[in-house]
Amino acid sequence: MAPKPLLEIRDLELEFGRGRDAVRVLDGVGLRLGAGETLGLVGESGSGKTLTALAIARLVPCPPGRFVGGTVMLEGVDVLRMTGAELRRIRGGVVSYVFQEPGAALNPVLRIGVQIREALRLHRPEAATEAEVVRLLRLVGMPAPEERLRGYAHELSGGMQQRVLIAMALASQPRLLVADEPTTALDVTIQAQIIELLRELKERLGMAILLITHNFGIVGDLADRVAVMYAGQMVESAPTRSLLRAPRHPYTRALLESVPRLGGGGDRLVAIPGSVPRLGAFPAGCRFHPRCPVARAECARQAPALMEVEPGRWSRCPYHEGDARGA
Amino acid sequence: MLEVRDLRVHFPVERGWLGQPRHWVRAVDGVSFAVRSAETVGLVGESGCGKTTVGRAVVRLVEPTAGRILFEGRETVGFRGGEMRAYRRQVQMIFQDPYASLDPRMTVADIVGEGLDIHGLAPERGARARRVAGLLEAVGLDPALGQRYPHEFSGGQRQRIGMARALAVEPKLIVCDEPVSALDVSVQAQVINLMQDLQRERGMAYLFIAHDLALVEHVSCQLLVMYLGRLVEAGPTRAVCGGPRHPYTRALLSAVPVVDPESKRQRLVLAGEVPSPIHPPPGCAFHPRCPWAEGRCRVEAPAMRELVAGHWAACHLA
Repeated sequence: MAPKPLLEIRDLELEFGRGRDAVRVLDGVGLRLGAGETLGLVGESGSGKTLTALAIARLVPCPPGRFVGGTVMLEGVDVLRMTGAELRRIRGGVVSYVFQEPGAALNPVLRIGVQIREALRLHRPEAATEAEVVRLLRLVGMPAPEERLRGYAHELSGGMQQRVLIAMALASQPRLLVADEPTTALDVTIQAQIIELLRELKERLGMAILLITHNFGIVGDLADRVAVMYAGQMVESAPTRSLLRAPRHPYTRALLESVPRLGGGGDRLVAIPGSVPRLGAFPAGCRFHPRCPVARAECARQAPALMEVEPGRWSRCPYHEGDARGA
Repeated sequence: MLEVRDLRVHFPVERGWLGQPRHWVRAVDGVSFAVRSAETVGLVGESGCGKTTVGRAVVRLVEPTAGRILFEGRETVGFRGGEMRAYRRQVQMIFQDPYASLDPRMTVADIVGEGLDIHGLAPERGARARRVAGLLEAVGLDPALGQRYPHEFSGGQRQRIGMARALAVEPKLIVCDEPVSALDVSVQAQVINLMQDLQRERGMAYLFIAHDLALVEHVSCQLLVMYLGRLVEAGPTRAVCGGPRHPYTRALLSAVPVVDPESKRQRLVLAGEVPSPIHPPPGCAFHPRCPWAEGRCRVEAPAMRELVAGHWAACHLA
C-alpha cells in the first residue's frame, strides 16, 4: 500500500529572527508523499502551509529564517544539508512549483516561449527546442500554442497564465509538483478547468502533487491523502475519503462544518469563535484550545502530540471522536 | 421596496484625440430585478460580469447610464443634495476589503458615529456615545474598544466594524459586496451568522453580491445570475440551484468543488473564458462557451422569459 516515500519531512522546525525575538513558525511538521501520490495540504493563512512547501526545495530565505530541527528527505537525501549545486539540481529537476498569482510569476517583458525554453535549457538542454515548447503548451491545454509562444504574459487571462506556469513547471519533468493555491486567484469556471488539467496530468505523467489549498472541495476532487495544519503544526492527516467523512481533530471538524455547501439548506452555520492566532502568539497547551468546542482544562496546559489514532490516520487531539463528542 | 429596471452602466474606454470616447465597456447592460423588504437577494457571477457595478449603482457610487432605480416607489436616479442624503440613509453598503474600507486615522467610534453626525441622528454627545456603544455591542465587539484604531483589529473584527457603520443610520437595505471573501475561512461563518442574526432582529434587506455560489445559496432566498453585464437567470434560490435552466448557471453549479467524496456528479467544465465586455459576442453572449449553442444563439440575443412562476432565464433553449 504505502509506496516508497518520494518526500518525507520529519519534525521540521523553522524560526524567524534570533534570540529572544525568535518566532517559531513551523513546529514539528511532518509529512510523507509517495511517488505518484497527491497530498492535499489544508490550512488558513498563517498556518505555515506555504513555508512547509517552500522548505522542500529550501526556498525559505535564510536569514531571516533558520531551520532549527528536523529533516526534509527528498529521494532519500536531506535537503537541509545539501550543497548549492545539489540544490540547483533538485530545484526544478525533482520538485517544481506553481504559485497562486500567475500574473506575478511570469516575466512581463519576455515572450512566453522564451520563458518556457529557459526552463528547458536549465534542466533538459537537449530538449530546448520550439517543438518541445509547443508540446508542453499543448499538454496544458493552451489553444493555438504555435502563436501563443510568441505572445507576452499580459495578453493572457489568469487561467491561461496559470497554464503557462504549469507548462514551465513540467518542462523539467519533475517527480513532484508543488501547487500552492493554484486556483485561488481564478474564477470558478476557470478553477474547474485547472483542477481538471491537474487531474489529467497526474494520471498521464504519474508525478506526485503537493496541493496546498484552504478549500476542502478541491482536496476532495484531487487528493489521495490530506494533511491539515493549524498555527504552525500538523493537526490531522488521513486518507481524503475518511478525513472528509469522519474528521478526527476538532479543528478539522469545525472547519468542515463552518463552510456552506451547495444544497446544504439555510441552517445556521457552525461558526468557529475567535480568530486565527498570529505568528509567534500561539496559545500555550493545544494551540486550538481557545477556539475548540470540546476543550477541557488540560488542553490549556498540555500540548498534545500527533498520535496515530488508527492505521494511517493521525490526529493531534487526545480526545478523539467518541471522547470529544461526549465531552 | 427596491426596483431596478433595465439598468445600464457604460464606462468609456480609449478616448480619441478630442477626448471623445471611442469604445464603451457595457459593464451593466439592461439588468432588472426587485428586492423586497427584509429579504436577501443574492447576485452571483464571475469577475468582470458587472455584479459589483450593479451594487455600486444601487447605492449610487456610480451613476447609471440609463434605466430606473425605484426605492419605495420613488425614482432615485437624478437625486441630488438633500434627497440623495436621505436616500443614502436608507441604503448602505458593506465592502469586500475590510483593510481598505475603514479610514486608518479615525477611531472606531468615529467611523461608526460618522453616519449619525451626517444625518444628525444623535446631536447630543452622550446620546451619540450610547448609540455607538450599542452598535458595537450589536455586532459582537466590546464597546470599550471604540477609542482604538482599525489597524488594531483582525479582518473579521474590521468587517464587524463595517457592519456597525452601515447599521448606524438604520438602513432598510444593505448592499454587501463580497463581505467575507477577504476573511479567513474559519472566521467567515461568524460574520455570515452575525449578518443573518441582525437581519432577523432589525428586518433590513440585503443585496448580497458574491462569487461563491454555495455561500450565496446559503444566505439568499432570491438568486440572480449575471454573465457579461446581463442577467441570465433569476428566481427563488432553491429553484435556481435545484433546477438551473440556463447552461451558464448549470456550469457554475457544477464547477463548485464538492466536499463529499462520494458524490457522483455530472461535471460540466466550460471551455474558454469570459469574453471582453467591450466587444461582447453577437447573439447570446454565452454562446461561444455553451455546449448546446445552435444557429439561432449566434445571431439573436435571448430575452429573459418567465419559465415557471418567478423563475426566469435568458436562453432560447430553456
